[in-house]
Amino acid sequence: MQPSYLNVFLTFARNSLIRDMSFRMNFILQCVSSISWAVMNFGLFKIIYQHTSSIGRGSGWEENEFFIFLGTVWVINSLVQTFFMANAEEFSELIRTGNLDFALLKPIDTQFLISFPRINWAQLPNGILGAGLIVYSLIQLSNDSNKNLQLSLAYLPAFLFFVACGAIIMYSVMIVLSSTSIWLGRNQNLYTFWFYITNFYRYPMEIYQRSGIGMALWGTFTFVIPILVVSNIPARVLAQPLGTPWKTWELLLAGYTALAAVLSLVASRWVFKRALLSYRSASS
Amino acid sequence: MRLWPLYTEAMPAIEIKNLCKSYRVYQKQEGILASVRGLFHREYKEVHAVRDIDLTVDDGEFVAFLGPNGAGKTTTLKLLSGVINPDSGTCQVLGHVPWHRENEYRRRFSLVMGQKNQLWWDLPAQESFRLNQHIYGVPREEFDRTRDELTDMLDVTRLLGQPVRELSLGERMKMELIAALLHKPDVLFLDEPTIGLDVVAQHKIQQFLKAYQQERRTTILLTSHYMKDIEALCKRVVIIANGAIYHDGSLEDIVDRFSGEKIVTLQMTDGRSVDALKNLPGLVEIEAPKIKFRVDRDDVGRTLSDILASHSVDDIVVEEPPLEEVISNVFSEAERDRVRDQSAADQSTSTGVS
Repeated sequence: MQPSYLNVFLTFARNSLIRDMSFRMNFILQCVSSISWAVMNFGLFKIIYQHTSSIGRGSGWEENEFFIFLGTVWVINSLVQTFFMANAEEFSELIRTGNLDFALLKPIDTQFLISFPRINWAQLPNGILGAGLIVYSLIQLSNDSNKNLQLSLAYLPAFLFFVACGAIIMYSVMIVLSSTSIWLGRNQNLYTFWFYITNFYRYPMEIYQRSGIGMALWGTFTFVIPILVVSNIPARVLAQPLGTPWKTWELLLAGYTALAAVLSLVASRWVFKRALLSYRSASS
Repeated sequence: MRLWPLYTEAMPAIEIKNLCKSYRVYQKQEGILASVRGLFHREYKEVHAVRDIDLTVDDGEFVAFLGPNGAGKTTTLKLLSGVINPDSGTCQVLGHVPWHRENEYRRRFSLVMGQKNQLWWDLPAQESFRLNQHIYGVPREEFDRTRDELTDMLDVTRLLGQPVRELSLGERMKMELIAALLHKPDVLFLDEPTIGLDVVAQHKIQQFLKAYQQERRTTILLTSHYMKDIEALCKRVVIIANGAIYHDGSLEDIVDRFSGEKIVTLQMTDGRSVDALKNLPGLVEIEAPKIKFRVDRDDVGRTLSDILASHSVDDIVVEEPPLEEVISNVFSEAERDRVRDQSAADQSTSTGVS
């Protein structure tokens, strides 16, 4: 009588879809708003690239490379918003209302149970759009006679691997943040925090490496809260702004990304378990 | 098939020793200034929700937890289901320590809370049931059979496909019960399962619980404020007040211990006798030719023979006072004890200081 984690996950996915579909207009509006955000984002950078040919001298982030980067950001954003965002928010709410009780009663890993119940399907189109942007920019880039893009299908697994690492890091950050609600009683900073940090990971890390303040930001968001590697490493795999083979520091950073994913997952689990020990279960 | 560990046959289903749990509660004064002060300096009060509880429940028992609001009933149930950790004391349910939250334990019990719901609000109950099937790893055929039996017993089969938010409170509670029973728990904790329900729904749930418990011999702990629930279901009643066990015994014991009186109703043959008796001590009401009064348990025989010697009586009914009344007396007595203890404690501290 072991629980089937896959079946539980699929039931969550299915129930969320049924639920989203039953509020049809809401679902459509959510899709429309997230897609229009992506389109405006795209337009903004199109305008910026009318003024300059690359972001940062010698960084290699020219227009097509950057749009691969942007597509990657959309893909990760959409993964996080589809699978984790609503759940992390819901978790804070479960703590505040005392409804976490039910999750604690179930004979299944509690962190798993609170991590996936709501899957926000309306955020997925954004990711598909991101994948489209990546493919389109890759084609543009490979047609560019000035560039010597080395691509084969072997790059796809590497890209997906680092996207997965990125998603794991983002997931861990969110779980840690929402777990703090157990001690704080209430934590409504999730969206705000998400907005702040995604502001940083939406750009190539080279833009930070010019000044003292920039380096401080780069160091913090690479080694303390490792969100810069979330978008930068997978995007580099495809866009190759500095060409191939990778420089030593690029390889080191890639290895670090995998390590950071494992470490942040372990850390998030630790914080989660510590937090559960302090759970008070509000009211009757 | 049930996989009983061998030792549980000999062991009680639930064994609690010296269990304590207290909360620190923020004491906020009224007003905006106090709120600002609260940002810098906060005063907390220690609330002893559960104080040194000892309790043993045998396999297959149906025990009621009675107590005023805030007495510690729900906290005890939460400790027993491992939702919260105690400050001190030990507890074993089916051989497991609840707050270790082992999956082997969690597969064998259920908690139903009348004030909270575990079903997906926007989806039909059957979707939540299916989710529980996967979480508890119940084989499909067995699951479908149990579900059909339960929905049939509670008469909600036709509502399985309706979103939970469109169910009435009574219907939703029945669905909550089903969700909690689909994995056939050996121990069931029910925290006010009939709260807010109308009499028909209450009765239906009582009947169901009774039949279900008789058939499966599930160990059940029930808290409720409805005496009807308790009269209908539980032989043993545990009264909790101020976080401690105040009484543990049968319902009859409670009435014997806490109510020194009986209620006597006489139907007199003529109005003159009613007039003659209207100054009777302990008079409750007169509805000629009926007269109702209270009398000390020990004096019932003597009082009645006195009356019968000088008046003509058509009918005599001697009853226990209503259970609600007895229980409310118990609660007030417990409250008086608490206030006394508190002031004694305060006095000893103040003497200590001076």
